[in-house]
Amino acid sequence: MAKVILTVDDSASVRQMVKFTLADAGYSVIEAVDGKDALAKLNVPVNLVITDLNMPNLDGIGLIRCIRANPACKGLPILMLTTESQQERKLEGKAAGATGWIVKPFGAPQLLAVVKKVLG
Amino acid sequence: MIDKHKQAFQEEARELLVELESALLELDQNRDDREIVGRAFRALHTIKGSGAMFGFDDIAGFAHNLETVFDRLRNGHLAATADLINLTLAAGDQMKTMLDEAAGHGAADQARSAGILADLRRLTGAAEPRPDAAPTAPGEAGAATVGPAREWRIRFRPGPTVLLNGTNPLLLLGELRGLGDLRIELDTAGVPPLSEIEPDRCYLAWEMVLTTAAEPEAIRDVFIFIEDDCELTVERLLDQAVQAHAPALETTPAAPDRRGATGAETASSIRVSADKLDQLVNLVGELVTVQARLSELAGRRDDADILEVSEAVDRLTAALRENSMGIRMLPLKTTFARFQRLVHDLAIELHKEVELTLEGADTELDKTVIDQLSDPLVHLIRNSMDHGIETPEVRRAAGKRSTGTVHLAARHSGANVLIQVSDDGRGLDVEAVRARAVERGLIERGAQLSEGEVFSLIMAPGFSTAREVTSVSRRGVGLDVVRRNVEALRGSIDIAGKPGAGLTVTLRLPLTLAIIDGLLVRVGQTHFVLPLANSLECVELTRQDIQDAHGKHIANVRGELIPYIRLSEYFRIETALREREQIMVVETEHGHYGLVVDQVLGDHQTVIKNLGRLYRHVQVVAGATILGDGTVALILDPHRLVQEAVQSVSQKKRPHDRSKSVNSRDFKPTA
Repeated sequence: MAKVILTVDDSASVRQMVKFTLADAGYSVIEAVDGKDALAKLNVPVNLVITDLNMPNLDGIGLIRCIRANPACKGLPILMLTTESQQERKLEGKAAGATGWIVKPFGAPQLLAVVKKVLG
Repeated sequence: MIDKHKQAFQEEARELLVELESALLELDQNRDDREIVGRAFRALHTIKGSGAMFGFDDIAGFAHNLETVFDRLRNGHLAATADLINLTLAAGDQMKTMLDEAAGHGAADQARSAGILADLRRLTGAAEPRPDAAPTAPGEAGAATVGPAREWRIRFRPGPTVLLNGTNPLLLLGELRGLGDLRIELDTAGVPPLSEIEPDRCYLAWEMVLTTAAEPEAIRDVFIFIEDDCELTVERLLDQAVQAHAPALETTPAAPDRRGATGAETASSIRVSADKLDQLVNLVGELVTVQARLSELAGRRDDADILEVSEAVDRLTAALRENSMGIRMLPLKTTFARFQRLVHDLAIELHKEVELTLEGADTELDKTVIDQLSDPLVHLIRNSMDHGIETPEVRRAAGKRSTGTVHLAARHSGANVLIQVSDDGRGLDVEAVRARAVERGLIERGAQLSEGEVFSLIMAPGFSTAREVTSVSRRGVGLDVVRRNVEALRGSIDIAGKPGAGLTVTLRLPLTLAIIDGLLVRVGQTHFVLPLANSLECVELTRQDIQDAHGKHIANVRGELIPYIRLSEYFRIETALREREQIMVVETEHGHYGLVVDQVLGDHQTVIKNLGRLYRHVQVVAGATILGDGTVALILDPHRLVQEAVQSVSQKKRPHDRSKSVNSRDFKPTA
């Protein structure tokens, strides 16, 4: 069965790009527009979460913390989308329990490489 | 496919720029609100991030500089000033121009971008921007496999919490294997006695020998996500030159962030081009017309089977129509929000203090109507701010608040939406308007006009009472354009106001331009359609009722006196005198009125067709529709009908009026 990836980003274009790339590679993709939406959509089993950091309602760091505090999601890989200038946020995300990160801007090959890295 | 993403980004960026603008305008009112700064920051951040992803490097770079400033605002290192807000507004406009350029419209002025950034640096005291370091992405290990294969000894002991954080060490070993020949030895020395084992923790370590041509950096890159969270050594087996040791990092789980707990759930949605929607609605319109033919046919055949199918198709068509029209409905919010900027800029230009208040921004209207509504509203707001609202000094002298208010309100009324633009300015001077109209030859000296009629004169072409021409008031071209635009939408305009107490302009617009629910009625051999949304009830009018009213056109409906209009008289249609007629009671803005018809035939899904330019002055008719048997029925506008009737009764002799070159009563429909 296809692995399920939840992509969380308030930018529709990034979501679209992520979804298209991953769906093309055979993953099944769920979209969420912010952290809060993502938590609501985690009621189904998900194999990987890819989240942006800056989002309204609940940001990426908050989302990561919520997921890590949820025993049902134990060990769930979480990738965060960061920018080069967000070194502190990256560390914050790591401390919150992110598995890894992808630096924006990224293209389809980078995205797939990182997803493969944490998902196998 | 890249183009598709690019287009998605452009649409999104435009929305983000609108969001940025509204955040900035709110910030202007509330300089210390970090929440608003956060909104502006997020908009810029997303523009930057997504822009770079889809190759809009210039926009991304530009947004990056602004983002830096807003990050400092957000952290309290910098205060929001009017200059900064205005500059950022200008920057937003510049990004819009850059988007236009990317979309192939016009060209963005590079010098202007540079100028804005220079001003920004001056304002914030920031250093010259340093070009962003070339972005690198992890996970590209193995990209540079050149040179001869060498042997590396790798010791890898992941931190105890890596499993909890979603890292699977076995995948990392697999990735190393992808770099070359790998021999692995498992080190279980760290595993405690069974009683002390916590299943979530990782106690294992690995010692490996990798034969690869890859650089040691590529090997380290495999572990990049946990480099701070593991012990890792990579040594060249022969000379053992490279050695590194990264201490394990203690991770402290923090309390979950519940900041957005009150926010609303966001519905998932997809983007569809407006053209496709228009096409859909057109097709539904065709379907409705064909369905009417089917119903007609089924009715004539009197075949139960066909009738059943026809009714099922009828129901489905109605549901499909409602759905597809609903898709095109948009809230006025985005249109309204744009005016905040307009008012802000105009107030500066005119040296006036004006605030815009909004009401009913959630009111939904057909997209096509909204698209064409923007221009008339801009005209009206400009007009209010230029002619209506006085300068702060004049306002204070008149005992008013120095800040003027322009109020924009929208609400539903039957099949219409009412949009009001009102101000608390100097209002309209009836005498000045009258004098000006005489001067312009629009009315004759000494003509008797009601106040409403005088007000309608300001909508005449070339009419302006403004003493001086300003850059804002468009040199006397204005309100007549508004009237033409609104009439093109099958809407109407009413003006009300008192001198000194402001002016209220009400636009009455149909909810949709395509298909409505109608009630089919018959007068003689002619069919008419009344909008169902306006129709209240249907009662009988007998000859006895007419006698009781002594020939006056008033019916008694359960104690309520309803004045009525006999459509056969109004349209001069020959009908046989009948014992019983029907009164359709309709709701208009003037109250409840009756329309007398020969027969009410039933409800009818009505595809609205325009009558064409020739009949554009016929206001009582909102359009036409094609019936199942191919004949044409006119769609009546009850509001206009009643208005015309009331006016023609109240003034038997109308003064010379150029604004209506064709009197609706000269128009006799033929079916």
